[in-house]
Amino acid sequence: MFLAVGPLRKELADSLSSCRVLVVGAGGIGCELLKNLVLTGFKNIEVIDLDTIDVSNLNRQFLFQKNHVGKSKAQVAKESVLRFCPSANITAYHDSVMNPDYNVEFFRNFQLVMNALDNRAARNHVNRMCLAADIPLIESGTAGYLGQVTVIKKGMTECYECQPKPTQKTFPGCTIRNTPSEPIHCIVWAKYLFNQLFGEEDADQEVSPDTADPEAAWNPEETAARASASDQDGDIKRVSTKDWARSTGYDPVKLFNKLFKDDIMYLLTMDKLWKKRKAPVPLDWAEVHQLGRSQDDMCGAGLKDQQVLSVGGYSQLFQRSVETLRAQLKEKGDSAELVWDKDDPPAMDFVTAAANLRMHIFSMNMKSRFDVKSMAGNIIPAIATTNAVIAGLIVLEALKILNSDFQQCRTIFLNKQPNPRKKLLVPCALDRPNPNCYVCASKPEVTVKLCVHKTIVQTLQDKVWKLRRGAQIHHRLGLFASNNGKFLSDFGIRNGSRLQADDFLQDYTLLVNVLHCEELPRDVEFEVVGDAPEKAPPPSVPEEEKSITNGNKDSAQPSTSTKAEDDDILIVDSDEEPSSSTTDVSMETGSLKRKLQDAETGETASKRKRLDQQPAAEDDDDDDDIIALD
Amino acid sequence: MIDMIEKEDNVITEEEAAQYDRQIRLWGLEAQKRLRGSRVLLVGLRGLGAEVAKNLILAGVKGLTLLDHEQVTEESRRAQFLIPVDADGQNQAQASLERAQFLNPMVDVKADTDQVENKSDSFFLQFDAVCLTGCSRDVMVRVDQLCSSRNIKVFCGDIFGYHGYMFSDLGPEHHFVEEKVKIVKSSDETNDGPKVKKPKVDPNETTMVKKMASFCSLKEALEVDWTSEEAKASLKRTPPGYFLLHVLLKFRTDKGRDPHPGSYAEDSCLLLQIRDDLLEAVDVNPELLPDSFVSTCFSEMAPVCAVVGGVLGQEIVKALSQRDAPHRNFFFFDGLKGSGVVDYFGNK
Repeated sequence: MFLAVGPLRKELADSLSSCRVLVVGAGGIGCELLKNLVLTGFKNIEVIDLDTIDVSNLNRQFLFQKNHVGKSKAQVAKESVLRFCPSANITAYHDSVMNPDYNVEFFRNFQLVMNALDNRAARNHVNRMCLAADIPLIESGTAGYLGQVTVIKKGMTECYECQPKPTQKTFPGCTIRNTPSEPIHCIVWAKYLFNQLFGEEDADQEVSPDTADPEAAWNPEETAARASASDQDGDIKRVSTKDWARSTGYDPVKLFNKLFKDDIMYLLTMDKLWKKRKAPVPLDWAEVHQLGRSQDDMCGAGLKDQQVLSVGGYSQLFQRSVETLRAQLKEKGDSAELVWDKDDPPAMDFVTAAANLRMHIFSMNMKSRFDVKSMAGNIIPAIATTNAVIAGLIVLEALKILNSDFQQCRTIFLNKQPNPRKKLLVPCALDRPNPNCYVCASKPEVTVKLCVHKTIVQTLQDKVWKLRRGAQIHHRLGLFASNNGKFLSDFGIRNGSRLQADDFLQDYTLLVNVLHCEELPRDVEFEVVGDAPEKAPPPSVPEEEKSITNGNKDSAQPSTSTKAEDDDILIVDSDEEPSSSTTDVSMETGSLKRKLQDAETGETASKRKRLDQQPAAEDDDDDDDIIALD
Repeated sequence: MIDMIEKEDNVITEEEAAQYDRQIRLWGLEAQKRLRGSRVLLVGLRGLGAEVAKNLILAGVKGLTLLDHEQVTEESRRAQFLIPVDADGQNQAQASLERAQFLNPMVDVKADTDQVENKSDSFFLQFDAVCLTGCSRDVMVRVDQLCSSRNIKVFCGDIFGYHGYMFSDLGPEHHFVEEKVKIVKSSDETNDGPKVKKPKVDPNETTMVKKMASFCSLKEALEVDWTSEEAKASLKRTPPGYFLLHVLLKFRTDKGRDPHPGSYAEDSCLLLQIRDDLLEAVDVNPELLPDSFVSTCFSEMAPVCAVVGGVLGQEIVKALSQRDAPHRNFFFFDGLKGSGVVDYFGNK
């Protein structure tokens, strides 16, 4: 693509002023992107963001000032841009892009969509909408000094979900409850504790010692004995933490002694755990305070939050925060629940204190509030310059797209330091779509092995649903529920049946082949056969150089369970009305896969399909075999 | 000059802590304090200058002086986002001042309408870092020579259409720190009794390693001797951006301006001529900078300003905060290919 006159060729300049583009997100990347778009000559821009401005945004989201804190990002961004480019035609939406109002028709209004998001759920959603509408999408992300840009075009490139993304790291329950070895385990425990005491109780967020810990037993009989013993004591398992706390009036001293003394002493009785580990050392409230007032001096030079207090200091913090939260609960009334928020001082204080006390007990160096906040709140450090670079690259890709120069489009990685080939910015060729992708393959299909006499409709839905995690699936209310308990065979489903599952909002159809089997292995109700769908890899920490993360939703916490909202009911074929989506913004961090870094333009180090790959063979599309369930 | 950074207030205010939170979490409090004590001179407020100004102001330097003698034209105004729409005819630095200041009231932003050629030596000495955009080669060489010997960090950068570069001279001895993760053995073997493992040390504990990098002058970097065998051998790996830079700086010196779309025909002819002469003089094959460059080096492309301005801004932040390895000593960006390379020219 070449310049003839002026920075841009005339036809391109004209198409810039007439085309309509959508920017999803008005934060770090979004602000820079809006600025670049109007300065380059884009005229018709729509921007959407559900968030309001926070003071911590101001170090990089330069369209916002202090006096804008609390206002809508999309709205203020629009106003600021109009100041230096009054002729731009900008529409701002203070809304979630996942709102069903923004349907496929809405997306079809645009020639190009550019994401400037910070969470995976929204990225998945926009990915699917752009595929459904067949609109090119530019995806991007930043974290600290690192960044990445890529182009997604249906049929031509991988979509956002073609390759599995690392799932958020979770920790086993017994590590959290019994044998923490890292500060993060203690922080997760403290957040669970917050919920158990003040928030929504969750069975997957137990904080009491886990008697069923397989590591604790010298032999299997012992595990059973322990479990029943604790039941008989009427101890840990039978009374919920919240009920117990209520019964003491949320007395901080009693809470302290239960959590940091009694429960620890209980753990000590599980002596096998401590054969090869340093045993925890319980704290006693009276003893801690006998040591006298701790010397927590305010050192002037540092941030107050970066101080690490003494055990006494954190005990006092624990007490104060419990009292404050107790009062908050009282004010809200009966059956009130608090939601943990890193920017709510007593909630943050509570987690800081509880986590540190636990760290001390387990012989770990305690952490400052500043550091605890980073971990508990999943804060991703961010600066203006990384976002500026990435947003510049986004617009350069946009120009190629508008010029229909897809062959020139690239994935580009921004490194912190140049690679061995001296590259700080590394362009790589785009990959072809994954033909087995559950999201973008033209006729995604799966074969499942189950017993039609023993499998009920609900089970099929749940299992098939799990293959397509994260979809916004809509169902006809009521009608389904009555069929949920019936067996598949009741509907005439047999070996070889083909079922069709539809998601009308995202314009997606999945064909399910049924392979009936009378005798499945024990505990197996359902088995995927043949070309398995892309399963998420086991939870692992994404290495810094292998993936970009960009997500730090306030409610993020490492979780051992998926939220209920994700498990929507699967529609199987009919003209359903979309139900309103209740999907909460997921807690996962968005992440873009990072490929091997020395790929030159035109080659890619990945082993996946190249541009010259043969398309997949056509499926047998015999309508008679397709049975719709209701 | 860096060592004399005013650490008058060693205390970070609550306001600063709240606003700079996300960057303090990245580069640490020490680095933020050093930024807070630094004064920077920025010459040239066109597309690239505005990007650098924004990046430095948001980072929280102590003071930023915007120096530009040119007047705002419709064209120059549309190239950047700090100048209001009704400012045509005003001085460019002056017109950018208000919006620049709004970006971060905690930074002391000033405008200076003088021409950089007319500034005395002592003018530059009040700064910890100087960033030159849109300047002639002679000015850049002069300022670099003056500043670098006084431990004032020098940066240069320009945008030519889809292409851009930045250069840095942090002096013969630039000291900085790098954060490295501590690797700690997790087991402690004792001779008696069962081995009891020490609890795993926090894997996130890091240590600061002191390092030093040296830089040559701009003069040296631009006057590479290409006749040596060694230099010839390295030509294949040399970014064409290096030669492009020479051509465009020569154009700027000869014409007193950059190539302009309004005089495309005449300017592109001259560009090709300069390329031929220059490369011939150093006995380098003109194919290393193919003719096509001519159609892609006019004006300043906004997204290219953003990319180069981002890299340049971050280099200035790194140098002032003395944290993390600086790029040595050029960065070349090709907006058509999306490639950005760092390369060193001059005596190592």
